[in-house]
Parts: sequence; C-alpha cells; structure tokens
Amino acid sequence: MKKQWIENIIAGSYAVALHIILVVLLFMGFDSASETVVMPAAVDIVQATVIDEQQVLDDISDRKDRIEEQKTAETARLEAIKQKEAEAKAEKEKAALEREKEKLRIEQEKQRKLDQERENKIAEQKKRDEEVKRKVEAEKARLAEEKRQVEEKKAAELKKQKEQEAQKQKAEEAKKLKAEKDRKAAEEKKRQAAEKQRLADEEKRKKAEADRLLQESLATEEREREERRISGVVNQHMGMIRQRIKRYWSEPGNATKGMQCTLRVSLLPGGDVRQVTVVKSSGNAIFDRTAESAVYKAAPWPQPSDPKAAAALRDFTFVFNPK
Amino acid sequence: MIRSLLIGLSLFAMLMPWQARAELVIEITGGSEAALPIAVVPFGYEGFAASEDISAIVRNDLERSGRFAPLPQQDLISTPHEKSEINFKDWRLLRSEGLLVGKVSSVDGQTYQVQFQLFDVYKAQQLVGKRYQVPASGLRRVAHQIADQVYQALTGEQGVFSTRLAFVSVLKNADGSRRYALQISDSDGANPRTVLQSKQPILSPNWSPEGERLSYVSFENGKAEIFIQEMRSGKRTALATFKGLNSAPSWSPDGRKLAMTLSKGGNPEIYVMDIATKALTRVTHSSQSIDTEAVWMPNGHELVFTSDRGGRPQIYKVPATGGRAERLTFEGRYNASPDISADGRYLTMMHALKGKFYIAVQDLETGAVNVLTERGKDESPSFAPNGRLILYATEQNGKGILAAVSVDGNFHQRLGETGIDVREPAWSPIRK
Repeated sequence: MKKQWIENIIAGSYAVALHIILVVLLFMGFDSASETVVMPAAVDIVQATVIDEQQVLDDISDRKDRIEEQKTAETARLEAIKQKEAEAKAEKEKAALEREKEKLRIEQEKQRKLDQERENKIAEQKKRDEEVKRKVEAEKARLAEEKRQVEEKKAAELKKQKEQEAQKQKAEEAKKLKAEKDRKAAEEKKRQAAEKQRLADEEKRKKAEADRLLQESLATEEREREERRISGVVNQHMGMIRQRIKRYWSEPGNATKGMQCTLRVSLLPGGDVRQVTVVKSSGNAIFDRTAESAVYKAAPWPQPSDPKAAAALRDFTFVFNPK
Repeated sequence: MIRSLLIGLSLFAMLMPWQARAELVIEITGGSEAALPIAVVPFGYEGFAASEDISAIVRNDLERSGRFAPLPQQDLISTPHEKSEINFKDWRLLRSEGLLVGKVSSVDGQTYQVQFQLFDVYKAQQLVGKRYQVPASGLRRVAHQIADQVYQALTGEQGVFSTRLAFVSVLKNADGSRRYALQISDSDGANPRTVLQSKQPILSPNWSPEGERLSYVSFENGKAEIFIQEMRSGKRTALATFKGLNSAPSWSPDGRKLAMTLSKGGNPEIYVMDIATKALTRVTHSSQSIDTEAVWMPNGHELVFTSDRGGRPQIYKVPATGGRAERLTFEGRYNASPDISADGRYLTMMHALKGKFYIAVQDLETGAVNVLTERGKDESPSFAPNGRLILYATEQNGKGILAAVSVDGNFHQRLGETGIDVREPAWSPIRK
C-alpha cells in the first residue's frame, strides 16, 4: 500500500513535469493553432464550389489536417484545464519562483523580442499564405464559376436543342398529320364521288326497271282484265246454261240417290248442240236419256255476244245428279 | 298489217288458258218439277171407224197422271203416224220429251190393229213401239196400256193407267128409295161396271193383291158382314158373319189372309183371318177403345190401324200376330182411315182440322205430314199402286165424287162421271 502511494507520488511528480512541458508546448501550439481555427468557414465556402475531382481530393486532405489540428487543440484544451490545477499548486512556489521570474523576465524580454521578430515573420508569412490562399480560392471560384457557366451554357444549349428537336418533331408530326388528313380527305372525296356516281347509276337502273315493270304490269293488267272479263262472261253464261239445262231436265221418278250421269257436250257456233256423248252412265237408261234430252231441249244455249267468250263456251262436261 | 297480226297473236295467246282448259264442268242436281212436255199426235185411222179415240185416251191418261204436259193439238206441226213421216228437226223445236205416233186399222169393224211408236226426237230413236190386235171392246184397254208404256218409257216408273177403281155408288130408285152398287171402273173413272147391287149399304171395298177379287162389307143380312167376290166369275163368299160388327177387311200382301174388325167379343178389335181355314188371330186387346180400319204394311208382318185408345182417333202400327202397338201420328187431333204406299214409305189418312176432314200424307221416314186437299169433306184415301197418286172420296153439290191428288199435293183431278153419288173408293193393284 505504502509502496503504491509512493509510486503515486513519483508518478505525480512525473506528471507535473510533463504538464509543465506540455503547457509550454501548448502556448506555442496555441498560437500556431489559432491560425487554423478559422479554417472551417473557409472550407465551407470551398466545399460549396468544389466540383473538380482533384480539388475534392485536396479538400479532403486539408480537412484531414484540420481534423488533426482540432484533435490537437482539444487535447491542449484538456491539458490547459489540468494546467490550471497545476498552477494552483505552483502558487505556493511563487516566491521562489519570483526571482527566477525576474531572471526569467529579462530572459523573457529577450525572448519576447526574439518572439516579436519571429511573430512578425510568422505574420508576414501568414499574410503571404493568406494571399496565396486567397488567390487559390479566387482561382477556384473562377474555375467553378467558369465551369458553372459552361454547365449552364451546356444545359441551355441542350435545352435549346431539345426544344428545337421537339419543335421539329412537332412540326414533322403536324406535317405528317396534315398529309394524312389531306390524303384521307382526298380519298373521302373520291369515295363520295364514286358513291354519288353509284347512286346515280342505281337510280337510273331503278327507274329503268320501274319503267319496265310498269310497262309489264300494264300489259299484264290489260291481259288479266281481258281474261277476267272473258272469265266473267263465261261464268255468267255457265250459270245461265246450268239454269237452262236444269229447267229442261225432266228427272225420272225412279232416279235414286247416287245415280250420276256424266255427259260430254260440244256446241256449234250459235249455241246448237253438235254432239252429246254419255261419258259415264248412271246405270239407268231413262236417267241418261233425260239428261241427254235436257241438253238438246236447252238448245240454242245462251251465247255471249263476245266472240272470245263464245269461243270459250264450246265444250262442256255435265254431271247430272238426282234431287 | 304487222301490228294487227301482232294483236291477233296476243289475242290468241290470251285465249290459250281457256283453250287449255278442255271442258267446262257443270254440275246439275235435281231436274225440273214441271210436267214432261210430250207430243201425242192423233192416231191415223184406216178402214172401219173405231169407237174410241185412242190417242185422246192416252193423252188424257198422261195428263191426269200429273207427270206429263201433252202439247196442245194446235201446236203440233204435222201429223205423222210412223217414223218415215217424221221430220225430227222440226219436232225438236217443240222441245217435247217424246213424240207419240200411231195408227188404228180394221178391215171388218170387229178386230182392230193398233200400233204405236214413241220417239226421242233429239236422237231420232224409237223408245218403245208395239202392235195390238183387239176386239172393239178392247180399244180402251189398249189405249190405257199404251199410256202405261209411254209413262214407263219416259219416267222409268210403272204406269197405273190399266188399273181399276172400285167404289160404291148410291143410286136412287124412281120411288126415292136408295140402292147401293159396288162398281169397278177404268183408272180414269170411265167405263163403270156394277159387280153387286143391294138395297142395303155396301162399304169398304178392298182389292186382293192380284187384282182379281174384292172383299167388302155388306149389310144385306141386316148387319155388317164381310164378303169376298171374284171379279171374273162373280162368285161371292161370306167370310165373316160373327155376332156384332164384321167390318173393314184388308187383304194381306200374299193374298192369304184378311185383316178385319170384329166386335164378337163385345168391343171392336183387330183380327187376322186365314181365308182358307177361316182361323182367326186376335191382334188387339184394348177393351176400352175402338180399334179398326187395319191395313197391311207391304212387308206383310205389320198392320196399321185406327184407334182411339189415346182418347182420339190416331194411327197405330202393330205386329200382325199381335203385340205392342206403336203410335204413328202425332200431328192433329184426329187421324183415321190409313193406307200405306206400296213402297211402305208413305202413310195417307183422313186428317181432321177444325172439324173438317182432309187427306194428308205422312212420310214414315221423316215424320213430315203434308195436307194435300182443300175441300174439307175428304175421306177414304187409297194409294195408286205406283204410289204417285192418292184416290179419295169427296163431296160436291151434296154428292159424293171421286178425286185424286198427287202425293206432293201439286196435281188435283176429278174422276168418273158426274151425277153419280160415289164413295169408298179403292185403287186396284197392277194386274200381274
């Protein structure tokens, strides 16, 4: 335990020494480090404009340096805190140190002068560096601006080209559309003309057909009218003949149901009987004979004055049935 | 020229349908009801004059039948007597159904030759022709036979001109008393001959089916009795002389039996007597009513008679062997004196309407009744054997006369001589 305590004291001693060294170093370091503290702001500006690959790489290396510096600064800060603690201890040794201090002050004055020189040199150097740096930055910005402009121009050109192409395409399409439209219109016109022609032809054909049909129907009508007229006259005379024959037929009293006598009769012009033939006998001679007699007794048969109708009334078949 | 030719062709074409239709068919059902026109040319006479005008008898017969309408004499355009003298073309114009020509000749005035020919003028064909040789007394009979021949040739039905009528004449004596004569005449009522005379009434003469015998009712013995008399020999037999009424005899179609009304049981009933054996079969058994005036159906199995079993006289039918009677007449309140046509189709009867008596005919197939007469004093109807006419008795100026009517009621005629009171006529059958 005691040994450890001792070891701690030893270690503490060492630590104090170390601290002192460090503090010195720190003060020195702080000065040089203060030049770089403002760096992040500059970096930000550069970052915003860096596009070039190399530039990016440079930037990255710069950043690395800065990070390193920051790290160092941080460490220093921590050390300073420790220093303050150490200074509290050192207060006790102050008196002893006063003398040392005076000595040191002279030394320090000398040193300060030296430092002033050095500082001036550093300031000049810093100024130069800053100038260089400013120039580099400006160049960088110019390049970036240039590049941006190029890009913009390029983009504008691209845009313009695209627009032109689009316009051109649009124009072509419109042209194509118009051509198609024109073609269609021409076709439609042609088709309409053909249809019109066709309709006209059709109309013409129909009219011709209608005329033909009219003529035909007139002829048919005339023929039918004539046939109807003759038919009417014939039918009328058939009825008259039938009545007349019936009136002259003395049906025999012994006629029985089912008896039927069929006669074929041909007439002479003028209505006299040319010939009578029993086609089918009733089986009763008197029945047949009375039928034949009726045909003769009815002569001359009623004849139409119309020669055509009269000609149609020449040959007859009579079927005689009992009452 | 070409134009008219074209028109001609088109007209020809128009007529084609008609010419293609070979014949026009005309159907005729039922002919004319009108009487047949017939030309009866007066017969020619050679040698001795004949006592009878044969063509006139024929013409009257045909006309009286109701079936013929002989052309008026003045319309006849010529008087041919045989085929060689006929110009058929001329006769066709008269539209007669037939042309009858003939002639009568006699060298001695005793025997006569009679010939006739009936022609179809349209075909110029003879339909029937015959030659007869008869004594002068047979001329009238020949005339009726010729009429029968013509009738049959033109109508297809048997003529009834040669048949006879039987009837009862009521004659008055100089002292005002009556006598009754059973007479027979020709079918036209002419040439009456008396076959029985009596001071007592004679009733209900009835011909045997062969037309050679008569049955009748005579009161000569003070009551109604049934007799049979042969026409040729005059032989008579009293057949039914039972107690009470013996009346209304009617010969069966086979001539073997006689239906009659007898009241021997107290009430008049119908009986059938076998003529040969006189065996009786009682047919009716209705003790409360009068059954009488039986006649035979042509089938010989049934009798038709008058009965008041329903309260008033009506006609009934009953099996000839007896059995259930079936009433036949329903029209009118009084129907009596039935007779049946030879074909069994028609029933004729005395039909009372408002107290008057008419002759009616009933179609037994349809039941339709047709009243044929108009006088209202008509009785005793009897069918002609061909069923075409109905002979009946009626009254004119207070005297009974004979009349005939066609079954359709269209043709009426009066028969017989005037001035004689006749009744109870019976038309003979056609002699076989």
